[in-house]
Amino acid sequence: MGHHRLEEDGIAPYVFLAPLLVLLAAFILYPVIMNIVASFTEWKGYGAMRWTGLSNYRAMLGDQAFWTSIANTAILVCYIPVSTAVTVFVAALLREGLRGWQAYRAIFYIPNLLGPVIIGVVFSIYLRDDGSLNLLLRWAAGSTIRFLTSPSIAINTVGLVQVVWVHLGFGLIYFLAAMNGIEQGVYEAALIDGAGFFQTLWRVTVPSIRFALEFWVVFNFIEVFARMFSFIYTLTRGGPGYGTFTLEYGIFAQGFEKFRVGYSSAWSVVLFFFCAAISVAQIRLMRRRSS
Amino acid sequence: MKRVSAISTSTRVLVQLFLLVLAIGSILPLYNVISASLKSGDEFVMNPFFLPQAPRGDNFVYAAIDSHLLTYAINSLILVPIGLVLYLAVCVSAGYAFGKMRFRLKRSLFLLVLFLTIFPQLLLATQVFKLISLLHLTNTGAGVILTWVAYFSPFGTYIMTTYFTDMPYELVEAARMDGASHLRILVGVMTPLAMPMIATVAIIGFQSMWNELPFSLLILQNQASRTMTLGIAMMRGEYGLGVPRTSAAVVIAMAVPLAMFLIFQRRVTLGVTAGAIKG
Repeated sequence: MGHHRLEEDGIAPYVFLAPLLVLLAAFILYPVIMNIVASFTEWKGYGAMRWTGLSNYRAMLGDQAFWTSIANTAILVCYIPVSTAVTVFVAALLREGLRGWQAYRAIFYIPNLLGPVIIGVVFSIYLRDDGSLNLLLRWAAGSTIRFLTSPSIAINTVGLVQVVWVHLGFGLIYFLAAMNGIEQGVYEAALIDGAGFFQTLWRVTVPSIRFALEFWVVFNFIEVFARMFSFIYTLTRGGPGYGTFTLEYGIFAQGFEKFRVGYSSAWSVVLFFFCAAISVAQIRLMRRRSS
Repeated sequence: MKRVSAISTSTRVLVQLFLLVLAIGSILPLYNVISASLKSGDEFVMNPFFLPQAPRGDNFVYAAIDSHLLTYAINSLILVPIGLVLYLAVCVSAGYAFGKMRFRLKRSLFLLVLFLTIFPQLLLATQVFKLISLLHLTNTGAGVILTWVAYFSPFGTYIMTTYFTDMPYELVEAARMDGASHLRILVGVMTPLAMPMIATVAIIGFQSMWNELPFSLLILQNQASRTMTLGIAMMRGEYGLGVPRTSAAVVIAMAVPLAMFLIFQRRVTLGVTAGAIKG
């Protein structure tokens, strides 16, 4: 994207950009800004806004649902390293050229393909207290797990299914592509030095895909903070109680189920700051990549 | 793919076993809905897990007709392609401007686009809903299409921009010398050359719109206008529907994404790496 100010293209670029910029201004930029305004008001989503200063924020800080949402998000964040370790490990196994590696890659990719709504419904059936997995568990271990109906377990179910399991297939394609870029000679050298599988993984593969790993972690943060709603909505509807509330889900519950839009906007402002920080991290990575 | 391998032959057997168990565990939830969709309500209570003893198709008829899944499928098959065409037009045109044109605000506008890529739907939803009501587009396809295109375009634009940026500038320069307008260069020269990447962006856009829930949930409140994804989301736990019928609905809903994958497998795979980095 070089700059040659002497031969600029006049207004033509702005015409090409107009559709995008108009849509962004109306559907993203304006909503983000108006959320901040609305967070200082009492508002039902229609009609007049009534200025109430910081009272929404005060109410939020005293709201159990808010702190549960923050804690749940923190739990989901803890699944990011788990997801990263599992995915890189399986990718490294598939890289060895095992028989059927392409079939495995395709099988693990299926959940990404089906999308969070179908996966949410599938698991709401599979993980019921009297569902198939508990049936198998009762046979194998003699006891069952309340995957969806225990508040302390349900959020971990969300983490294991959506953060670890669903992303595995996506990550395999992504990391296998990155590992493909590593020269074979490096592996041959490691083998001659007598390095085993784990040593090679840690000393050769991981440093060589560091950039891909950083993108992967940022991508996972985006998923946890900004792409969890559809899955939670179909899996648990936020429950049991506030058991699987995240900030996203709380905004939905306050704004669209209770019509406390002014109040839900205060939650939105908190979520905005998290997302803005993640967005800045992602832009930095993208710019390092292009330079 | 013959590789230099640090794994011995005996370990290989263990690794294969491990992957096999992982793959079976991964498929079980899907097997579970498929087998449930072929059972009667009574049989499911007695036998929730094993293959159906008397497979039957009436759950599919119920899901498609009585639960209106057919209507929802038709809605999606109309809305998503229209949205996709508009989305591609927006992304390709903006990607060309950022990638190959010269103007003062390029850097700052591009950074703004990148910055706005990740905000979740729910963060924007109350204000978007207000805007859509203001335009009298609640419960309309136009309302949801406009919102989808706006929401998903920044990412598509980013991918198209990186692609156009990497193309040789001489292509534009030569055409400019011949007196071609930027519109003619984009349509006649660049778009044909960029077709592989446009196809990848199309797949990404299709998946995003097909699976989109929050905006459809808020904008399409009228049952007859629901999309497939929204219909499935609302079906979960609907009173009296029962697991076998819900499962049948889910199995029907899986058809389109799975067909997409089988037809465009290579391009879907490319879509994963397009947005990020290869190494």
